Amino acid sequence: MWHGKGKTAIVGIGYSELVRQSKRPLGLLALDACREAIADAGLSPRQIDGLATYPEAPFLGAGTRDGVDIVSVAWIINHLALAPDVRWYAQIETGMIAAPVIEGAHALMAGACDYVLIWRALHQPRSYGAFSAARAAGDAQFLAPFGCVGVIQSHAMAWRRYMHQYGATREHLGTFVVNSRRNANLNPRAFFYTKPMTRDDYFAARPIAEPFCLFDCDVPVEGCVALVMTSAERARDLRRPPAYIAGHGQNTVGRRSLLFYTLDDYVINGQSLAGKLWSSAGLGPADMDAAQLYDGFSPSTLYWLEAAGFCKRGEAYAFIQDGRIALEGELPVNTFGGSLSEGRLHGMGHIAEAVFQVTGRAERRQVPGAAAVCAIDGSPMMRGSGIVVTRDP
Amino acid sequence: MAAPSEKPVPLADQLSQPFWDAARQRRLVVQRCADCGYYNHPPRPTCDRCSSQRLEFAPVSGRGTIYTFTVMHQPSVAGFEAELPYVNIVVELEEQPMLFMVSNLPHAELDKIRIGGRVEVWFEERGPDLALAQFRPV
Repeated sequence: MWHGKGKTAIVGIGYSELVRQSKRPLGLLALDACREAIADAGLSPRQIDGLATYPEAPFLGAGTRDGVDIVSVAWIINHLALAPDVRWYAQIETGMIAAPVIEGAHALMAGACDYVLIWRALHQPRSYGAFSAARAAGDAQFLAPFGCVGVIQSHAMAWRRYMHQYGATREHLGTFVVNSRRNANLNPRAFFYTKPMTRDDYFAARPIAEPFCLFDCDVPVEGCVALVMTSAERARDLRRPPAYIAGHGQNTVGRRSLLFYTLDDYVINGQSLAGKLWSSAGLGPADMDAAQLYDGFSPSTLYWLEAAGFCKRGEAYAFIQDGRIALEGELPVNTFGGSLSEGRLHGMGHIAEAVFQVTGRAERRQVPGAAAVCAIDGSPMMRGSGIVVTRDP
Repeated sequence: MAAPSEKPVPLADQLSQPFWDAARQRRLVVQRCADCGYYNHPPRPTCDRCSSQRLEFAPVSGRGTIYTFTVMHQPSVAGFEAELPYVNIVVELEEQPMLFMVSNLPHAELDKIRIGGRVEVWFEERGPDLALAQFRPV
């Protein structure tokens, strides 16, 4: 078990607006979220002396203008009146947004700083996704000339393979997507808060990359989510109940094929993360009162259910049926609507919801008595990182 | 109205140059380990199986099966707008399990594509200096 279990905590959360296209530059949305997270913790920006983010822009060919396309540590230092000497920072490009949270916990335990601010800001212009370079280099030389460089194709083709191997259908997957929307309809921050979805709506949606339709893809919002972390000792004096970091894990990106992500890759990578997550927390899937599992595309959550041991391999599509993952089911999953219905925040929404659940702040989505919840980011085929948060240290 | 965009051209590098040179001569070759015989594609600095640095290019049959596929209704690469909906397949070459290549299976009948369907290589000319290894149903 990790010697840091229960020694650090998340103590504040802040959201900017989440909209399809914002009229305001991304840096300003990040400031909104950061200020709100700091205030939520009952702190002032002058007390923040540690910073971490996962700054990467979310698509190929994105711009790199700080404060517009991305929001770096330097940008926040220059635009928020933080502690006069920020003592620690990190920009982590591997492992998505739980990775900065994990490093933040390490920094706090090492005494490198007292209060860590973490954010994830996403700019999603309309041109999202289309590879438009005239020449394709690297692995793209074997993909782009065939119109096949998108992450969506990898995921769609892996899911096609899953359907073929295990007998899953769009009917099965629809249960998950509709359940996520139902949860989002209870989450005022969600992009689709006011828009219900029926199974008929799901099946009527336009195809994007078959077998995926529009609603199998997360909704590309612009916005930022921020959180504040501190030591368990300091956390006890703050405004909100702390969500203790109980354990963490990151995957190690072993791949069977180097051209596209296979179905086997999710097992190799997902299990490498989950094994570390459960052993560091001294907890297992049966101990989770809810699970926030990344859903950049809808099947990713099913793969995580399998890789993290909530069910056996090839069984997730059946496991999610009959209300089992609903708010009132035996394992509520993505209780806030996930990336599919809250918005693409690259895992920050999953972490925020895990915190809300174990601190009794999930309002109409509250899972009664939630004491331990995991948040796992990323696709199990690619990079990923996850944490377990608990109500008690 | 903007001119139709061009499909991207592969940029060969020091590892992949022999693959593209062979394609120009209508030959399909794959990097193969001289020590353990394992095929690596795309070409790598070291063998995926045994980490050997003794790698050479060897001809392959160009025959394989469709491992998986997707039908694209939204362009993910510039230059394919006029071809929507188009298909992307992953071909598993018969030489080795999980030895994959990608194709867009031009002119395919979309409703006839099946996992396990047999395909063979052909070469699509895209300009005087570029031939692409494509696949078609057998």
